[in-house]
Amino acid sequence: MSVATLGHQADHGHADGHDDSQAAYLERTRRNRLGMWLFFASEAFIFIGLLAARFYLWVDEGGQMMRPELDQVVGLIVTVVLLLSSYFMNRAEVSIANNNRRDFLWSLVITAILGTIFLVGVIIFEWGMLPFIFEGHLKPSDGVFGAVVFGMTGMHALHVLSGIVLIGNVWWLGRKGHFSAERHWGVEATAIYWHYVDLVWIFFYPALYLIGHAYGVGH
Amino acid sequence: MQNNTRHFAAIGVLVVIFTFVVFWILDAVLKFPLAASTQAGPIDSLIQGHLWIIAFLFSLVVVIAIYSLFLFRRREGDTEEGQYIHGNTTLEILWTALPMVVVIAFGYWSTVVLVDITQRPDNEIIVNAEGYQWGWNFSLPNSDAVTQELVLPVDTPIRMDLTSKDVLHNFWVPEFRVKQDIVPGRTTYLRFTPTIEGEYRLICSELCGLNHTGMIAPVRVVSQDEFAAFWNQDVQTASSK
Amino acid sequence: MSLFSLGLVRAIVGQILGMLTGMATTMLIRVMLGLPAWAAEPSWTVGAIFSIIGALWAVGALSDWAKWMKGEETPMHHGPPEGKPAWTRYFGVDYNHKVIGVQYTVWGIFLLLVGGTMALIFRTELAESGRQFLSLELYNNFIGMHGFIMIFAILLGIGGMANYLVPLMLGAEDMAFPRLNALGFWFNVPGSLLLLSSLFIGGWDAGWTAYPPLSARGPIGYQLFFLGVFAVGLSSIVGSLNLLVTILQMRPKGMSLFKMPIFCWAVFATSLIQLTATQLIGLSFLMVSTQRALGMGFFDPGLPGATLMTGLGDPILFQHLFWFYSHPAVYIFILPGLGIISELLPVFSRKPLFGYKWIALSSLAIAIVGFLVWGHHMFVSGYAPVLRYAFMYSSLLVAVPTGVKFFSWLGTLWGGKLTFETPMLFVLGAISVFLIGGLSGPILGTVPSDLPLHDTYFVVGHFHATMFGGFVFPFFAALYFWFPKVTGRMYNETLGKIHFAIMTPAFWVQTLGQMGVGVMGMRRRIADYDPTLGGGSIEAWQLSITIAGFLIGFGVLLMLWNFFQSAEVGVLAGDNPWRSRSPEWQIPSPIPEHSFASPMVVHGEPYDYGLPEPYVAFAAAGDD
Repeated sequence: MSVATLGHQADHGHADGHDDSQAAYLERTRRNRLGMWLFFASEAFIFIGLLAARFYLWVDEGGQMMRPELDQVVGLIVTVVLLLSSYFMNRAEVSIANNNRRDFLWSLVITAILGTIFLVGVIIFEWGMLPFIFEGHLKPSDGVFGAVVFGMTGMHALHVLSGIVLIGNVWWLGRKGHFSAERHWGVEATAIYWHYVDLVWIFFYPALYLIGHAYGVGH
Repeated sequence: MQNNTRHFAAIGVLVVIFTFVVFWILDAVLKFPLAASTQAGPIDSLIQGHLWIIAFLFSLVVVIAIYSLFLFRRREGDTEEGQYIHGNTTLEILWTALPMVVVIAFGYWSTVVLVDITQRPDNEIIVNAEGYQWGWNFSLPNSDAVTQELVLPVDTPIRMDLTSKDVLHNFWVPEFRVKQDIVPGRTTYLRFTPTIEGEYRLICSELCGLNHTGMIAPVRVVSQDEFAAFWNQDVQTASSK
Repeated sequence: MSLFSLGLVRAIVGQILGMLTGMATTMLIRVMLGLPAWAAEPSWTVGAIFSIIGALWAVGALSDWAKWMKGEETPMHHGPPEGKPAWTRYFGVDYNHKVIGVQYTVWGIFLLLVGGTMALIFRTELAESGRQFLSLELYNNFIGMHGFIMIFAILLGIGGMANYLVPLMLGAEDMAFPRLNALGFWFNVPGSLLLLSSLFIGGWDAGWTAYPPLSARGPIGYQLFFLGVFAVGLSSIVGSLNLLVTILQMRPKGMSLFKMPIFCWAVFATSLIQLTATQLIGLSFLMVSTQRALGMGFFDPGLPGATLMTGLGDPILFQHLFWFYSHPAVYIFILPGLGIISELLPVFSRKPLFGYKWIALSSLAIAIVGFLVWGHHMFVSGYAPVLRYAFMYSSLLVAVPTGVKFFSWLGTLWGGKLTFETPMLFVLGAISVFLIGGLSGPILGTVPSDLPLHDTYFVVGHFHATMFGGFVFPFFAALYFWFPKVTGRMYNETLGKIHFAIMTPAFWVQTLGQMGVGVMGMRRRIADYDPTLGGGSIEAWQLSITIAGFLIGFGVLLMLWNFFQSAEVGVLAGDNPWRSRSPEWQIPSPIPEHSFASPMVVHGEPYDYGLPEPYVAFAAAGDD
C-alpha cells in the first residue's frame, strides 16, 4: 500500500501545491526515499519474525535443527529466476535514467514475467495448489513444517505479487510516456522494492531449503 | 540562591520523615497472605527491600516537588521569569549513575534469591498436577490414583510437574508465593516446600476461558505420616469405588 | 445536504457492503471448489478484509492513489470541501494535518468513552463479591475489549497530538506525506468498528493478550478482532513513518535535532518503536488467524507423540512475538505523554527545561532498551530459566532513563515562578501518578518478587498507574493547554480545576486499591473474588475502586462538557495566552488554513524563558 503511495507521490508532487521546479522535485524525492527505507525497516520485522519462528520451531526432541525435504530442483530454479529478475529490474531503471525507453519497457516486461514464473513455481510446484498438475509435498496443516513453509513462502509470495502489480503499473504508465530521465521516482521505488523482496528470499531460501537435517515428507 | 542549603536541609529532613510515612502506608495497604513455604521468606524480604526503596524514591520526588510548589509559586504582582538554569551535567551524571547502582544491586539480590528458591534439593517429592478447563487432577508418579484435592506433606521439598489438557493455566497458591504457567505440549516445573500445616486454595491465574474464575482446587498441607496414609489408603479406596 | 456527503457515513456503509462482498466472494469460491457455500471462519475473515478496503474506498481515502496508478493529476485541495458546510471536513478525508489531528483526537476520546464504559460495567460487577449481573462470557469479553479499545484510544490520542503539533512545532506547512496521513487516520475507523462489532458474533474471550491455544479455539469474533488490530496497526506504521520523515527532513534551517521542541523528540522515539515493533503483533495475530482458518499449527503442540509433520507448535512462541510488540507498545503510549510533561513544565515554571539533552536522549534510551525487555511478561511462562535472569537485568535498566526524566523535571521546577492553571495541575498529577506507576515496576521486574505478584491485580494497578500517568493525565493536560490554540477560546478554568480535584484523588484510590487487592491474592481477569482475602478487607477496597472509577468517568464528562461549552462561549484566548516560546503560539488562534504566512527562522533555544531573544521568528511578513 505505502509503496504505491511513495512510489507515485513524487511524480505528481506539484499537485501538493508546491512548485514544479526540478529542485522541488529532488527535495520531494529525498523525502520519498527516506520514507521508502523506513518502510523497508518496518517490513524487515515481519520477515525476521517469520525466520525466528522457523528457527524456534524446526527443532526435534534432541535439539537437532530440522527442515522438511522440499523439492530442491524447484527451489533452485525459482531462486535463480528471482535473482535474474532483479538484474532486469535494475536494467529498467538504468535505461530510463539514460532515456532509453525501449529497453526500459522491455526490461520491465521481462522482470514481470520472471516474477510470475517464480510465483507459478511456488504456487504449483511447492504448494501443490493445482493437484492435477503437480501433487505438493506439504499441506498448511502439516504440523509446524506446513505452517512455517506456507507462512514464509506465503508472506513472501504476497510481496512478489504486489511487486508484479507495481511493475505492471509502472510499465503501463511508462508506455504513456510518464517517466523521464530526470523524473522517474516511481520506477526507482518499484525497483528498490523489487530488490528488497529479492533480498528477503536470499534469507528465506537457505532457511527453507538448506539449513538443518532433512526430514522426508514425500507423499 | 544563597540560602539553598537551608532548603536542602529542610528537604532532607522531610524526605526521611516522609519515607517512613509512605512505607507505613504501603505496609498497611499491601497485606500479603500468610507465608507458608520456605520460598516465601527470601521473597518477602526482597519485597520489603523494594518497598523501602519505593517509599524513599517516592518521598524524594514528591517532597522536592511539593516543596518547590510552595517555595517557587508566583507571588501576586510578580511578573519576572524564573531563574535561568539550563541544566547541570554533574547532577545528570549523578542521577544516572546512582539509580544504575541501585538497580544492579537489586538485580544481584534477586539473582541470589532466585537461585536459592529454584535450586534442586536432594529429597524432593514429585507430584503431578494436570490442569484442564476448568479443574485440576493430581497424582503421584508410579500410581494410577487421581485426586481432585492436592494433599502435600509439610516440610518436604515438593516438585510439581505441571501439564495441561487443553489451554494455558497457572499453578498458584498465594501462601506459597511462587507460581508457574502450565503449557500444553510440555511439562513445566515448580519447586516449593510447604512449612505450615493447614488448608489453602490452589488457583489458576492464567486466563483459561469461561470459568477461569472458578478454577480452584483445595490444598491441604498435612504431616508426612498423614500424607503417606492419604495416598496409601484414602485415595486407593476412593479410586477403587 | 444529504447524509452520504459525510465521509464517516460513507465509510460505515462501505464497510458493511465490503463485508457482504467479501462473504459473497468466499461463498462463490467455495461453491466453485465443490465445498458447502457457508463456512463461518473463512467468510467472516475474508469479509472483514474486504470491509476495511470497502470503508477506505467509500470514504475516499484511496481515490488519489487510484488516480496516481492511472497517471492522473491529483491537485491538492486546501480548505473546507466545496459546496458543503465547513464542519463536514472533519467527517471526511481531509489532507490538512490540523484537521487530521483533530479527527484522531476526537475518535480517540470517543473510544476512551466506550472503553471506559465497559470498565465501569465490569467494575460495577466487581463492586461486591458474588456474581451480580454479568454473565461469565460477557465479563471475559468486556475485559479484553476494554483493554484493546483503550489501546486504540491511546494510539489515536498520541496520533492526534503528534499530527497536530509536530508540523507546527517544526514550522512545516504540513506532514511529509499528507495523503498517507489521511489514509493512516481512516484505517482506524473500520479497525475500531470491526473490533466493536466482534462482540455481536460471539466476541473473543482470552483477554487483550489473546494467548493461544485459547484464542485459537474461541468464538469467531477473534477474526474480526485480529483484523481490527491489523487495520489500526497499519495506521500506526504509516503514521509513524510519516512523522519520522517529517521530523528528519522538514525542520527549518537552524533547527538541529537538539533544538527541536522536546515533544518532537518524544514523538521521534515513539515512532521508531511504532514503525518496527507493530509488525510483530500483526504477525503474531496473523499466525493465530491462519491457525484458526487454515489449520497452520504454529502454536498447536498436537497430540502426544506428535512429530514436526503433525504438530509440535509452541504457545510460548506466540508470547515472544506478541510481547516483542506489546511491551514496547507501553513505551509508545507513555513517551509522548512524558514529552508533554517536559513541554509544559517550562511554560508554567517560566524557566528553561532542565537538562534538555538528557531528557531527549532518555526518550531514545527508553525506546531502545524497550526492545530488550519483553521477556519480563513471561517470567512464569515456562521458557528457558536462563532467560529469566537476562530479562530481569534488562528490565531493571529501564528505571535509569526514567529516573533521569523525573529528576530533570524537579530541576525544572526548582527556581521557577510557578503558576497552577489546569494544564499545569494535570502535569503535576501526571508526575505523581507516573511516579507510583514507575516505582511499582522494579518490584515486578525482579523475578522472585514478581512470582507472587504476576497476573494479580497488583499488575493491574501498576499498569493503570503508568497509563494514567504516562498518557491520560498528560493527554488531558495537552487538551486543556492547546484547546485555546485549536478553538481560539479559553476553557472554563474553574471546571478544569474541579475536574483535576475529582480525578486525581479518585485515581490514587483506584490504583492503590488495585495494588492492595492484588497483594492480598486476587488474580487478574476474574469475574468474582474471594471475599475472605485480606482478612475480609478486600470488600471495602473493591467498592472504593468502583466508586473511584465512576468519579474518574464523571471528571472526564465534566471536561468534555467544559470543552463543548467553551468552544462556543469561552473568552477569546488571544494568540498566546500561556506566553509560550513554542512556534505554534506565535501564529494566530485558531490557526489559519496555511499555518505559517511566511517561513520560520530559528533564532534561539526552545525553552530559554528569561532571555529576550525569541526561539523562532518569521521572515518579513508575507506581502499579501
